[in-house]
Formats: sequence, structure tokens, C-alpha cells
Amino acid sequence: MFTTSSVPRRRGVAALAIALATTLGLSACSSGSSAGSDDLGKPQAGGTLKVAFWPDNAAFSCVDPFQTYWIEHRTVIRNLADSLTDQDPETGEITPWLAKSWAIAPDGKAYTFHLRDGVTFSDGTPVDAAAIKGNVDGWLETVKATNGAAFGSSYILGLKSATVVDPLTVELDFSTPNSSFLQATSTTNLAIVAPDAFTRTPEQRCLGEYVASGAFTLDSYKPNELLTISRRPGYTWGSALSKNTKEAYLDKVEFSYVAEDSVRTGNLVSGAVDIAWPRNPFTVEDRALIEASDATVESRSLPGVSQSLFPNVTDGRPLSDLDVRQAFVKALDLKSYATTIYGDDYPVVGGAFDETTTYYVSQADKLAHDKAGAEKLLDAAGWTLGKGGYRYKDGEKLTLKNLIQVSTPGDELIQDQLKQVGIDLVLDVVPAAERPAAITNGDYDLVGTYFTRADPGALQFILDPDLANSKALAVNSSSPETLAEIKDLFATAARTTDDAVSKTAYADLQALLVDQGVTIPVVERLQYAGVSNKVGGFAFTSESFLKLNDVWKKQ
Amino acid sequence: MSRYILGRAAQAVVVLWAAYTLTFVVLYLLPSDPVALQLGAAGIETDKLSPVQLQAAMAKYGLDRPVLEQYLSSLWGALHGDLGTSIAKQRPVTALLGERIGSTVALGAVAGVLMLVGGTVLAYLASYVRWRPARILLTRLPSVGASFPQFFIGLLLIQLFAFTLGWLPATGSDGFSSLILPALTISLLTSSLLAQVLMRSFDDTLSQAYIVTARAKGLSRAAVQWKHAFRNAALPAMTILGVIVGLTVTSAIVVETVFARNGVGKLAQESVVAQDVPVVLAIVALAAAVFVVVNLVVDLLYPLLDPRIVHVPKVSR
Repeated sequence: MFTTSSVPRRRGVAALAIALATTLGLSACSSGSSAGSDDLGKPQAGGTLKVAFWPDNAAFSCVDPFQTYWIEHRTVIRNLADSLTDQDPETGEITPWLAKSWAIAPDGKAYTFHLRDGVTFSDGTPVDAAAIKGNVDGWLETVKATNGAAFGSSYILGLKSATVVDPLTVELDFSTPNSSFLQATSTTNLAIVAPDAFTRTPEQRCLGEYVASGAFTLDSYKPNELLTISRRPGYTWGSALSKNTKEAYLDKVEFSYVAEDSVRTGNLVSGAVDIAWPRNPFTVEDRALIEASDATVESRSLPGVSQSLFPNVTDGRPLSDLDVRQAFVKALDLKSYATTIYGDDYPVVGGAFDETTTYYVSQADKLAHDKAGAEKLLDAAGWTLGKGGYRYKDGEKLTLKNLIQVSTPGDELIQDQLKQVGIDLVLDVVPAAERPAAITNGDYDLVGTYFTRADPGALQFILDPDLANSKALAVNSSSPETLAEIKDLFATAARTTDDAVSKTAYADLQALLVDQGVTIPVVERLQYAGVSNKVGGFAFTSESFLKLNDVWKKQ
Repeated sequence: MSRYILGRAAQAVVVLWAAYTLTFVVLYLLPSDPVALQLGAAGIETDKLSPVQLQAAMAKYGLDRPVLEQYLSSLWGALHGDLGTSIAKQRPVTALLGERIGSTVALGAVAGVLMLVGGTVLAYLASYVRWRPARILLTRLPSVGASFPQFFIGLLLIQLFAFTLGWLPATGSDGFSSLILPALTISLLTSSLLAQVLMRSFDDTLSQAYIVTARAKGLSRAAVQWKHAFRNAALPAMTILGVIVGLTVTSAIVVETVFARNGVGKLAQESVVAQDVPVVLAIVALAAAVFVVVNLVVDLLYPLLDPRIVHVPKVSR
């Protein structure tokens, strides 16, 4: 059900992988897309699909491809705007879309894209080399205008400028090589919009003031209420990764925002919506409810950084001691976390990244539960058992403060697991708005976060202080020596055009992160979807977003 | 009479000002750094900015001025109908409120009607019914209604009427049918409060001498209760009307979240989570204004219902 992706670059290997993926893929891919279609018959055109999301981003309501990080809106954008390339969810391979081919300069500092002819934005203007240049210019301006806060900034590291070579050829130039850029061009964050949009302010674009070339067009966006999109007539340039590369089947799609998980699931079960799209994995009970109602539960790991805790290793704090960090990791029982919180079949996290991330290498053996080992390490580090079953050193209790936003059963389970070895984990609830300040102020030992992108480079935006959203979190999470090693490995992977080098660097990185306790993985992030039995053609993208090209609804 | 009205109106203005000022002070005295908070709400992490950029960002939101100056300009703006700009949403607060208020007013109005009908009917029945077990049951009902958390009642109603019976939609702001369940959820609490007060005052009123006189004239019990007792019994109930309106506003926060309605209540919740100070300030001021106006109207209605209320101060002077 879950495939670990890698990017084969040698043609023979690639061809074999694709052949395997297509033969295995049909039987192995998640249940609904094949089983559902059999029961439903042939795709029908027409109808309105209703999707229930979890609430909109209260702090930053945005549907602009380059700026938004909100996973739900990246799903919406996937259907409004096309990208230069697409990424195969099964193999991780980058495939043509708006660009029919491309070439990367040997030094990795220039990407030349040859565009497909005859593609237009929904306002009728062509998707040509000038339009791509307009986007590149717009991205660079947006990075400046938002002080680098725009999420897309992380995808275009080193990008300098774009040059129109001929009407359908454009060259993108880099000041430093960025080997993950090709993958970046397949993401929604670098989806192409009509360049006219960049004459508007970033705020206006966030509210949907742009047009693009996707299979759907945006009708209206009322933040946290309703977002409606309609089929684009005359669309013929879908990525070959979709079965249907022509006009979409659905007339309209309505995305509503429902805060209560049980109400969202109930809406699906009672037939008020066709797809329930939760942010947090469905509970075991909700999954049973959905399956009992003849709807199907689809799932795929969200690629990128797994749900992990990042330590504060500043001098004087308990986690500055590597032994204590390793004891923490050994004290965690990740398997019982996954099965207790999300159900018996829920995957166990295997490292800093989720398993759908390109170059993923499982570190599961190092993350095994080992209570005796944890106790031994803590004893050796001078933390001895004392009053109340907690450990003390020089009269000081081994207390760790975990900054959380809402207390969840998972947090409490970890608290209990650590209590077993004598660590006192304090759950410090800090509202979202106060979180950045709390991290900057440094009075914490652990903080959880994640980042969705199908490339390991994603982790730089948590760990590299020069790039990270929270500089303090990055600085605190590893010692200067380890940080230097991490940056080195990222740089090695980014500067090469040889896939084998990237692969080795990322493998070393994943081992280092766990060995040094820089990331403490907690749980794999699964994107679930509850899909009505009236819906056929359900498909996840490589980023585990919802792709609507093939989706249809039985009338 | 006009003195009475002027006095009440002046009081209302003072209460409104105090509410605004208190909210401002509380929001600025929060233990965290207001600058980091507000820039954080706009997606800007302060530790990523250079001192020059930080200064520019602070100037953009007016955070570089002294707090007193910020307060005065915010108050001056509010008096002129300018409630500032939402930091998280980057839009004028008045526009945000304008978009959302219709939905909440509709919800409040339907909940208000349900409350009046439900509360009055329940109280009326409870004092009319003579059979003891039924009477006891009726008088206990309001306590039950007032003790259930609205969050739970909302989910229960959704489960029953939307998911099981399929009569009404569970979520959304689509026409009158989507108003019924959320309004019912709010009115269950408010009508219980109303019924409790009304029952008590029915009991008091019905034991008074003029009721005995009315009965002696040969009027039926129902007619006495409706024509003679109701107006007097309604007075204490009017007093809690202001409280009930306040409750409706706070209920909207929970109910709009459960029923996924996009009203002022949910805007309040979003803004508190994002610590979007201008929006929170505006919503508190708005809620205070509604509360003050309702109480003012109630104060002004008292003399009409019970002429003794105005005459007493005149005599004592």
C-alpha cells in the first residue's frame, strides 16, 4: 500500500521501475480507485462534488500557490494551476506536464524547459516562455515583499533569473546549484499562474486574484466558509500521470470547512458531502463508521518531515547531553503510539522523514523501544531514580518541557512512556500565536513540527538557521558541530547532478539525525480521505494531495 | 422622564468606553511580547528580520508608537467607525464584521424567538398545571436544559436530526433550514434561564392580593394568569434579557464552530487563536454595545410596564 520512492536516473532502471509500477500499481494502489470504479461502471460527466476540509488557516487565509503552506489549499491549487512537471506518486519520477522536456546544465546552475504548445491560461493568454519568466520574476519579488516568509521561498533557493530563449523555451539560472529544483517544479507551490497576477499585492493573490491553466477555475473563495471551483472547458493538457488528460468530469467542486472531526465524518456518512478530508488521521472509530456506511477510507503518507520532536540542546538544559536524548528515543514506544492512537494497521514512523519521501531510508532499528537501554543510559549520565519514580541529578528533577498547542491523547501517551523510565515530561500548552515567541525565548526542551514536501530538502527549513521559519528552533536543535555536518550533507546533495551522490548524502543525513537525536520521530503522517461510494477515480498526488482530473460522481 | 432617559444613556456610554478600554489594556498586558505576537499573526517571525526590517514591520502596524498613543488613536478611530485593520487577515475590521454579522444576527434572532416562545410556554405551563408530578417535572426541566454543555447538545442534535433522521443540514450557512439546529442549541440554554426566572415570578405574582380579586370577579385561572399576572411577572425576566443576549453572543462562538457557520462568533474564535488584537477589540466592543443597548431598552421599557419605577425617584427627591 505504501511505496518507498526513489528517483531512478539511469534510463534502464527508470523504464523498469515504471513498468513495475504500472503493473503492480494497478493492484497495489489504494483500494478505492480500482475497486470503486469496478462497482460504479464507466465515468460519467457532470455533477457537483462536495469536499469537507478541516478549518481554514485563521492566521493566514491564502490560496496563492507561491505563498500558502496550508495542505488543504495546496490540494485546491493542484486542480486550479498546472506545474512545469509532475511527479509520479509510485516511483517519485519527474514527468512532463507544461514542460514537455528539460535539460539541466552539467554544473547544475541552469535549467532549460521546453514548453508544450497550445496551452492557455483561463483568461485566454498563452502559457509561453514569457509567462514562465513572469512567474520567476514574480516569485523573486514575492520573496522580497514577504521578507522570505512566503512558503515558496524554500523551493527556489539559489534561483537568480529567467531568460526567454524562444517563445516556447525558457532558461532558469541559479547562483548556486539546487538539485531539488526539478522536483520543486512539480509542486503546487511553483504552479504557474498568468503573470498578470503579480501586478496585484501578495494579499490580493492570497484571496484568489489570479488565473491559471488548470483543469478547474476558481469561482469564489470565502475564507473558512466555502471555496468553489468549476471545470475549465477546452482543457486538454493534463499530465500523463492522470488517466483523464482532457476536461474534468465534474462540473463543480465545493470545499467547505468543518471544525469538528465527528461532524465532518458524519457529513460523509449521512451523504451531505462526498469526500471527508481530515487533517489529523481518522480515529479508529471514524474509520469503522465510514466503512460501515459503504464509503471507502483512502490513505497515503504525506511526504516530507515526519511528525517529530526537535530538542533544545542549549548548554545547561537536560537534552544537551546526547545520552539523555538517546535515552528519550529508547523510552519511546513508537509502535504502541501508532497502534494505540490511530489503530492496529497504522504505520510506525521510521525516521526523520515519512516513507513516501524521495531518498527515504528507514532507521527503524535505531528507533526500537528499549526501556532497559534507556535506564542504563540515564544511570550512566548521572540521573538516578528518586522520589516519585522520577530521576534526579544534584537534587534537580529530570523535567523536560514540551511546547504543544493542544493537548492530545498522543502527547499524554508519550508523557506516560517517559514516566516509565523516570523522565518527567511537562506538556506546556502555548497557543499558536504565542508559539514563535515562546520558541525564541528558549524556555523549552522539545517542540514538535512537520513539513510536507516530497524531497528531503524540506528538513532544511526546520534545521538550517539561515533558511528556517524559526531561527531559534533551528539553532537550538543541534550542537554547532552537528549543525555543520547537517549543512554539509544538505549542500553535498544540493550541489551535485549525480543522483548517487544525493542518495548517499541523504542516507548519511538520515542516520546522523537519529544518531545525534536531532529529530525525535514520533509518528508517520497519514493523509486520510473518506470517499463516498458514489465517487470514482479518486487519486492522491505525489504530495498526497487530492487530484480531481479522474474523479467523477455517479448521478 | 427625559432626565431618566438621559441618565441611562450616559451610563450606557460610560459602560461602553470602559469595556473598550479594559479590553485594550488586557490585550496589551498579556504576558507575551505584543510585537512578536502581532507580527507572528501576519506570518512574520521576528527572529528572521534584521533590525531595519523589524522597525519597518512595526511601523506598518503602528506598533512603534507608545501604548497610550496607540490606545487614543484606536479609540478615536473606533468613534469614527474605523476599527482598524486585521493583522492576520490584512483587511479592514469593519469589512470582516460586515461580512460575518448577517449570519450571526439571523442566528441570534431565530434563537431569540425560540427562547421567548419556549421559555414563556414552559413557565406558563409549570404554574398552570395543578397535577403535582407534572408540575415538579416541568419546574425541574430548566435546570436540566441549563446544565448541559452547548457543545454536547449541538453534537447530539446534529446526530439526531442531521445524521440519523436527515431532516436538517448539519453544517453550512445555506438558508433557513441550516439555522434551525444551531438556533435550537442556543435557545435551549437561554430559554431555560428565562423559564426559571418567569416561574419564580409567576409564583410570587399569583400569590398577590389583586390576583385574588381578579379570581373573585369570576375570571378563569388561565385568563387571570395571562391578562393580570403575566405583565407583572415579566418584569424580572426583562432584567435578565441583557444577560441572555450576552449569552447568545458567547454561545455563538461554540455553536458556530460546531455547525461550521461563518459568523462573528467564529471570527472571534479565529482572532483569539491568532491573537489578532484589532479584531478581538472590535468584537468585544460590538458585544458590549449590543449588551448596553439591550439593557438601555429594557431600562426604558420598565416605566411602561410598571409606572411605579419612574415615580419613586421623583417622590424621593
